[in-house]
Amino acid sequence: MGSTTTDRFARLKALQPPRTLFSSGPESKAARTGVEEESLGSASSIAIGAERLALILGASVKRNLHGEHLSLHCWHGGHAPCAPDGAALRLLAPDAPEDVADIQQWLFLDTETTGLAGGTGTYPFLVGLAWWEGGGLEVQQLFMREYSEERSLLAALAERLAERPVLVTFNGKSFDWPLLETRYRMTRTAPPLLRAHLDFLHPARNLWRLRLGSVRLSQLERHVLGWDRGADVVSELIPRIYLDFVRSGRADPLVPVFQHNQMDLRGLAGLAGRILALLGDEGAPSEDGLEVYGVSRICERRGEVKRARKLYEQSLVSALPFETDRAARTALARLAKRDGDLARARELWESTMGNSKEGYEAYEQLAIYYEHEAREPRQALAIAREALAQLRRATQGGTIAASAYRRTNARFQHRLLRLERKAGRTLLDALDA
Amino acid sequence: MTIRLAGTSWGDSQQSSPASIHVPGFYNSNVAPEHSEVLGLSEEKANSFAESNMAPSQQALAPRFGTTIETVQEILGALVSRYRTDEVLTCVRQIPAREAVFRPMPAWVRGELSEAYRAKGIRKLYSHQAATVELVHKGTNVVVVTPTASGKTLSYNLPVLNAVLENPDTRALYLFPTKALAQDQLAELHDLATRLDDCFGVFTYDGDTPNDARKAIRERGHIVLTNPDMLHTGILPHHTKWMRLFENLRYIVLDELHTYRGVFGSHLANVLRRLRRVARFYGSDPQFICCSATIANPGELAVQLIESEVEVVEENGAPAGEKLFVFYNPPMVNRNLGIRRSYINEATRVAKELLARKLQTIVFANSRLHTEVLLTYLQQANPPKPGQSEPIRGYRGGYLPGERREIERGLREGQIRGVVTTNALELGIDIGSLDACVMAGYAGSIASTWQRAGRAGRRNGTSCAVFVASSAPLDQFIVQHPDYFFGSSPEHAHIQPDNLEILVNHLKCAAFELPLSPDERFGNVELPELCERLVDAGFLQRSGGNWHWVQEGYPADTISLRSVTSDNFVIIDVTGDDDGEPEVIGEVDFSSALTTVHPKAIYIHQGQQYHVERLDFGQRKAYVKRVNVDYFTDAIRYTQVRVLEIAEEQSIPGPAARAHGDVLVRSQLVGFKKIKFFTNENVGSGKLELPENEMHTTAFWVTLGHELLAGLPFTLSERQNGTFGLLYALGSMATLLLMCDRRDLGTAVGERPPSAGTGVEWHEFATAADTEKEFFEPNLYLYDAYPGGIGFSEPLYRVCHVLLTRARELIAACSCANGCPSCVGPASDTSERSKEVALAILGYLCSAESGGAPNKAIGYSN
Repeated sequence: MGSTTTDRFARLKALQPPRTLFSSGPESKAARTGVEEESLGSASSIAIGAERLALILGASVKRNLHGEHLSLHCWHGGHAPCAPDGAALRLLAPDAPEDVADIQQWLFLDTETTGLAGGTGTYPFLVGLAWWEGGGLEVQQLFMREYSEERSLLAALAERLAERPVLVTFNGKSFDWPLLETRYRMTRTAPPLLRAHLDFLHPARNLWRLRLGSVRLSQLERHVLGWDRGADVVSELIPRIYLDFVRSGRADPLVPVFQHNQMDLRGLAGLAGRILALLGDEGAPSEDGLEVYGVSRICERRGEVKRARKLYEQSLVSALPFETDRAARTALARLAKRDGDLARARELWESTMGNSKEGYEAYEQLAIYYEHEAREPRQALAIAREALAQLRRATQGGTIAASAYRRTNARFQHRLLRLERKAGRTLLDALDA
Repeated sequence: MTIRLAGTSWGDSQQSSPASIHVPGFYNSNVAPEHSEVLGLSEEKANSFAESNMAPSQQALAPRFGTTIETVQEILGALVSRYRTDEVLTCVRQIPAREAVFRPMPAWVRGELSEAYRAKGIRKLYSHQAATVELVHKGTNVVVVTPTASGKTLSYNLPVLNAVLENPDTRALYLFPTKALAQDQLAELHDLATRLDDCFGVFTYDGDTPNDARKAIRERGHIVLTNPDMLHTGILPHHTKWMRLFENLRYIVLDELHTYRGVFGSHLANVLRRLRRVARFYGSDPQFICCSATIANPGELAVQLIESEVEVVEENGAPAGEKLFVFYNPPMVNRNLGIRRSYINEATRVAKELLARKLQTIVFANSRLHTEVLLTYLQQANPPKPGQSEPIRGYRGGYLPGERREIERGLREGQIRGVVTTNALELGIDIGSLDACVMAGYAGSIASTWQRAGRAGRRNGTSCAVFVASSAPLDQFIVQHPDYFFGSSPEHAHIQPDNLEILVNHLKCAAFELPLSPDERFGNVELPELCERLVDAGFLQRSGGNWHWVQEGYPADTISLRSVTSDNFVIIDVTGDDDGEPEVIGEVDFSSALTTVHPKAIYIHQGQQYHVERLDFGQRKAYVKRVNVDYFTDAIRYTQVRVLEIAEEQSIPGPAARAHGDVLVRSQLVGFKKIKFFTNENVGSGKLELPENEMHTTAFWVTLGHELLAGLPFTLSERQNGTFGLLYALGSMATLLLMCDRRDLGTAVGERPPSAGTGVEWHEFATAADTEKEFFEPNLYLYDAYPGGIGFSEPLYRVCHVLLTRARELIAACSCANGCPSCVGPASDTSERSKEVALAILGYLCSAESGGAPNKAIGYSN
């Protein structure tokens, strides 16, 4: 091929270096000041970088049948282990076996990866593990210094999971664990078997999204646990920092990544304790009505209606934001109706009527109640008319979406027609009598 | 005028060669040839003939209007009543009905499976089905060449299902070129699944598959129907989730194989390299079953795509109905300028005649624009009855899926009486069988023409296909040389799997899927060298001997199999502006966006005209407003070519030379013309300022020697225009030989540089023309319109003599006086004597049989 091949390669678009998203950002500039530029790039500089990293972090090289990887141990005080009770675990993982309550089997896990999109070309370069020990949190971080160390890292993780087969994560069900399963398959080994997998993302969402808007781990730490992370690396930059390291040996920017991973693990452990306490049988006396409301929703979803009803009532006592209050009332009314407590249900419906999805549901439920339970079709008729008037005002004022208006309006018009016929007949019946 | 059709025995199925219809006084170019190859083409599709393969419910729904010979007589009479018939109807050919050739169901077919087929009415196999399934059963890769609706799906479903019944772990992957085709196959397989107690799972997997269903498909799908694009972006990069499929992958079905040519085919060959690589990782080595329409080299194409040996089954045992094939050439209106009546208007007339006789008709046009124009005309002529829906509908790529399904159903059930479409309906989408087919313009290849014609085909009565030629050279060549069309296929499908641009992109995807090892093979390249290049560019990193992907991104996402970039332009109607919400009315792909939705263009959608207000290139959005004007727009492109490296060069008579090699092409859209409806007058123009496009590709070119041009008895400008005319004709004939779209092949004239190689200044023709400076030795370029080239240049170099001869035939046979769009380009654009000059040059070029001695050849290998 010779020189002409070189020319041909030079003009291939497919060989143009990719555009980088963050390379000019201030963070990455700061992140790149660790090592002198001229020493970068060669195989030896990468080895030197890896050594330097082990030195700064105090990590050691671990060797097993499949090769080597870096391993870092540390211990963080002030993490009291929680003692989850059966009720909380039933809500979290209804299908898990009994002994899931044994926290000796728990393994907190959080990975840092070479990309966020997933797929077979995304590698977890840092696997952070943690467990409660000695009144604090023991952390172990497994790190691959280059891609060929992946097998050794995965083997070490498998060993750890054999000892502690209950995996505890934050968003691990849809991200970390499938990614790790992929990695095991890529190395033609069976993924380790888990006894159970507790993922705290969904309960965290139920409990705090209303209040915080987002449920990123760092946010939850600050607002729920009252911790302050201090300086932290932007997580979107993490893949780039690692890829930079494998290409050039720049080790220093990786140090904050290890710290970030440790903070995520500590945050996860802290949050797990908090969530388990909230979900526990004692009902975790919370002053925050939103949290109570969140627990109620989880209970309702898991079919623990009695507890859900109790907690909804409790949440209503505190001053909930208007919309949450309405949602709680609607849910509660539904539960009350199911229990046959129509008086309470009626009360709740009457307090939620208005121009909202829940408001129209209240009108409808009330109309049904008056028609079939109270047997006051004229009252039902009045309610339906009121709902229609409300709808008219809403559409004139532009406070309802066109499709929602059409749907709801049709429903009430239909009801109105039927009620009018029925009310008319009742009048005739009355005249006859 | 009454036309008597005589000379053949109608419906005589023993008659094995197509008969000519002798119409007294007609130009009779169609003496029935004795070619047995004709048979291979003649029984093209007759859906209802394969009655055994059709669900009874579908049969019941299809309306029963058969074409009769009398009807066709009437129509032909009506069509030619105004003209000299010999000029207009260049060929009326009857393709007789054909009987099925049956073979028994093979003994190895499991009882429950043959029972399921028997319940569908299939007791025996057509001979080609039998031959195919035997080969598959023996473990051979096979390509079966059959017309559409000849029961080819059985050829792969039967052996695949048999294997699944033998071993429920067996998995198969079916690839169809479009999503719609996969959807279509699903129905047939569901029917079989029901008959087999749902003992196997079959699913489509494409962009529309809901997320929650995907997991089940990965686990339980015995047969997964998908398309190359989804395999490329959705399956291979996530192969660990498809472990069960890959571990047990035994069959890969490639349907409509002939569509995988050019860029798309070259991409697919690389996707299949990746697929086989992943399959190897899981320890499987799948077998391929391919189906193709009739082309000259199905076996060669299949071998290039799957890179292993393939057996070809070319016999055809399916029955076919009687069909009349009519070639219609719109009459000349100005012999001096070579202007014929508008073929769009003539096609409209033909379609109106057919529709007026209640024949359900499909009309094919070659561009979205013409689809919309034809639709407008036909809808005006066939307004809906009160309270009923539109009887004539359009159907093409830009329509939304729901709209398409509705139209397909309407055609099957018969409420829709006519449909105007692009090639979107050419492939096997189930629309039932129609009575008649009108093709406005040549489909671009013989294979496509037969597929289009196959859309018409009734069990009772004759079906009818009318090809209305445009004045484009290819159309004129075909319409005047019917034997070329009805003879054995001259069409070769070409791909270039080792196009470096394409290969490197797929190599990146491959590295993402599994680390690359130095002893692997991926196409015909030095893998370690290329991998090191990718390391330098920052895509790969070597670790533990293998190369790993070291980018955050997802390589497959940025690589489209169909065109240069993956993103479509969205068309947004902003007519309402303040009150109405902007509405997305359609999409155009990147490659056609510039020519159809450039600023100030008239974009036509469902017969409605829109003026393009603004083109947002970055956001890939075109904002349009509804207008009602009497013109459409046609974009003008400006192109320059520079030779970078000559691969082979040889002198040929003339004196002249042929060559192929690498070139740099620069092109730009510089303006557009406004063309009036019906009269096709040029009623204005506009300038455009759009970014210049630069592309490295491969080209074939002919260099005309200075002595040749200097010796011609014409003026400077005549010689120049003649050169352009010659190139025009060469471009037309090249697309015929290459089976490619006109857009796939660019043409340009440039000066031959004093010495070949890089760094040489080249002259812009525009300047040269203005200053009356003649090219010393002009190069006539035919370049691959895809970065890196797509494998056209070298074949053209090889068949250079055939190309020149065909071009000479084309120009010589053209009945215009001084050159017209059908031969050397319109006389108004060139000069009075272009035709003469072009013929004179060709006279020299074709003068001797033998080529000259090699000349400055690099890597000359003949």
